[in-house]
Amino acid sequence: MINRVRVIFPCFLIIAIFLFAGSAIGEVVKVGALNDMTGATSDVGKDYALGIAEAYHYVNDHGGINGKQIKIYQFDYGYRIPEALTKYNLFKRLKCVLVQGWGTGDTEALSPTVAKDKMPYISASYSAHLTDPSKTPYNLFYSADYSTMARATLTAWFDTVWSKGAEKDKRKPRLVCSYMFASPYCSAPIKAIKDQAKLLGFEVGEDQDVSLFALDAKSQVLAMKKFEPDVVWHGNTAMSVATTIRDAYSLGLKAGHITNIWGMDENLPRLAGEAAEGVMAAASCAYFGMDVPMMDDVKAYAKKYNPGIPEDKRLIRTIQGWCNVLVATEAMIRADKAGDLTGEGILKKGFETMKDFNLGLGTNPVTYTPTDHRPTSKVKVYQWKDGKFNMVADVDLQQRWPDQWANEWLGW
Amino acid sequence: MSTTFLPCGLYHQNYSEDQGWFQTPFIKGKMILLFILMFFVLPYVLDDYWLGNANMIGYTILGALGVQLLIGFCGQVTLGHAAFIAVGAYTSTLLILNVPWPQVMLDMGIAYPISIIAAAFVAGIWSVIFGLPSAKVKGFYLILTTMAAQFITVDFIITQYVSQIGGRGQAFSLPPGTIKIGPWIIDSDVKVYYLMCVLVILCTVGVANLLRTKVGRAWVAIRDNDIAAEAMGINIVIYKLSAFFVAGFIGGVAGSFWISNLAAISPEHFPWFWSLWLVGVILIGGAGSIHGVVFGSIFMVVVMELLSLGAMSMADYYPDLLMKFQFIKEAAFGLAICVFLMYEPYGLAYRWWQMKNYFNLWPFSY
Repeated sequence: MINRVRVIFPCFLIIAIFLFAGSAIGEVVKVGALNDMTGATSDVGKDYALGIAEAYHYVNDHGGINGKQIKIYQFDYGYRIPEALTKYNLFKRLKCVLVQGWGTGDTEALSPTVAKDKMPYISASYSAHLTDPSKTPYNLFYSADYSTMARATLTAWFDTVWSKGAEKDKRKPRLVCSYMFASPYCSAPIKAIKDQAKLLGFEVGEDQDVSLFALDAKSQVLAMKKFEPDVVWHGNTAMSVATTIRDAYSLGLKAGHITNIWGMDENLPRLAGEAAEGVMAAASCAYFGMDVPMMDDVKAYAKKYNPGIPEDKRLIRTIQGWCNVLVATEAMIRADKAGDLTGEGILKKGFETMKDFNLGLGTNPVTYTPTDHRPTSKVKVYQWKDGKFNMVADVDLQQRWPDQWANEWLGW
Repeated sequence: MSTTFLPCGLYHQNYSEDQGWFQTPFIKGKMILLFILMFFVLPYVLDDYWLGNANMIGYTILGALGVQLLIGFCGQVTLGHAAFIAVGAYTSTLLILNVPWPQVMLDMGIAYPISIIAAAFVAGIWSVIFGLPSAKVKGFYLILTTMAAQFITVDFIITQYVSQIGGRGQAFSLPPGTIKIGPWIIDSDVKVYYLMCVLVILCTVGVANLLRTKVGRAWVAIRDNDIAAEAMGINIVIYKLSAFFVAGFIGGVAGSFWISNLAAISPEHFPWFWSLWLVGVILIGGAGSIHGVVFGSIFMVVVMELLSLGAMSMADYYPDLLMKFQFIKEAAFGLAICVFLMYEPYGLAYRWWQMKNYFNLWPFSY
């Protein structure tokens, strides 16, 4: 019995010391972060999570929130919703003022809860469903939403490829959408891109269901061939997009390829090889290593905090993580200056005071208003050509379709 | 292990006394104290974080109760229970959102209570469908057929069709105020906690009561030896299917409860891993014991959260610890199952049983 006490008592003592060790830290601004390092979306989630951590180091090294250091509680939730809920409750208990979320799963699951709790939730899911403040007031992000990006990418292809082609005056261009029907992320911009296709005079073929985990898409490509599309919209992530364009290449589908932001990154050419040549995609920020303001900082912090990962293996996901941190930090700085560093303060005195705010890193300036949380109407479209990403267009939807932008396109 | 020794000097004179709920005044007092603790102490003592964890414990109990019934009491190993929870959650949500309830019924707040009952029945019937193979197969093969429930129900039917109802292509979210019972709108952790307590008590008492009946004895007989049970005249197919129905029924209640906790659902809320987790809960708590479900659920939620809090304090010294915590948690889950199976095969419930007997037999506990 005495031996057991000798073992158990020190164990409890050690646990107690660790449990209360954190209370010795001075005044800090607490931020929670949910990331996926082990779950279904970890292929892109790992790099994003590294970007979040490195960016907060950068912010703290550069003055934090008006001198207050940010303490980030960053958890891998494995893309499990019950885990996300538990961790979110933990963030509330820790008095976190803001949460950096991840994908569609946790963002949509927690959307009613964060609205009730008035907790700004900055996600890597850019669904247009999250941009209407009357429905999801506390869901925010720095990027153009998926629907805006889809409209812009199709427009860019129409302007730069179709309008210069020989067929343009002879017939309508043909579009097919290839994505996983059941995935909320993949299906989010489909209604918008079809609406845009109608606006630009496209003929739209039957959608093709390609799983996010697809290793073969030949049957879908063969189905597409019957329609003879001029361009294919890929709504999945890079791995399955690579599968589809590789099969399209080998089966001789004569069509251009355009993708969502998560569909093209530095891994796509590695996975798809020659088939990736000419693929176009929207990107809400620069690709890793591009010559844009602040990229040197990103590279320096990547090297400092994750020296084991070579620079050429880092992805645009790192930059996306940085951008969400930078926009959240700016909102917190503004709210703190206004003396209201609360969830509601961060929204109203932080985000909703930003007008054409430039984050750097190749982003377009962002604006949030109390009635419209679409950060920007401008989208940069890149093309993979000759071994590098080249910007082919910077489409401004608001400038080209001001009425629809103002009155019709919010929230879908 | 099923019977606790009575305190010295007490004995039963008939069968109904032997099966009684409150066999001694001490047990009655203990239950009253537990009731007071659950309804009048904990909600006032716990903050939102621990109330949230208590709600997770309740959700785990409701999920694991059905698994315990199937595995622990009827011997039908299942690895697809998350599917029946999903059926309950979606049935309840669809009934609330898509049925044109008369305004008077909405005002009276009976849509959600009705949806809970309907969800339980639908999930129960759905569970019976996937229980049908148990008439022909058992053991390893039955595990595979129950796994099919997950793939067919969640990955195919719900993901491809049910979650697309209304053409939304995203999670169903329930507008504020739609989850209410009578005039009571469930919109805070503490209200969810009260609902959880009521549902857990009803389901636990219901299962415990069933186990005292002919049906419960038949289940146990099938678990112990299905051939002998059949030789004794028990219709094993009917009783196995009834076990699947009750397990699915409780799973449906769990699913309905889950929507009150988040006010949103998508197929991602019900991964196959959750079924595995529930089996882990009963292995750690103790197979074949209702106490085991409760202890296992508390262990899996509270211990994991304490680990998480410990990791958080250490994160100042080991910055990567939080991001690697999911690996630690899963390793701890696996390790806990191994340790319990090797050193405590009857689970935490066995320790509880030993402890009770120690005090009941004191001072003659040897």
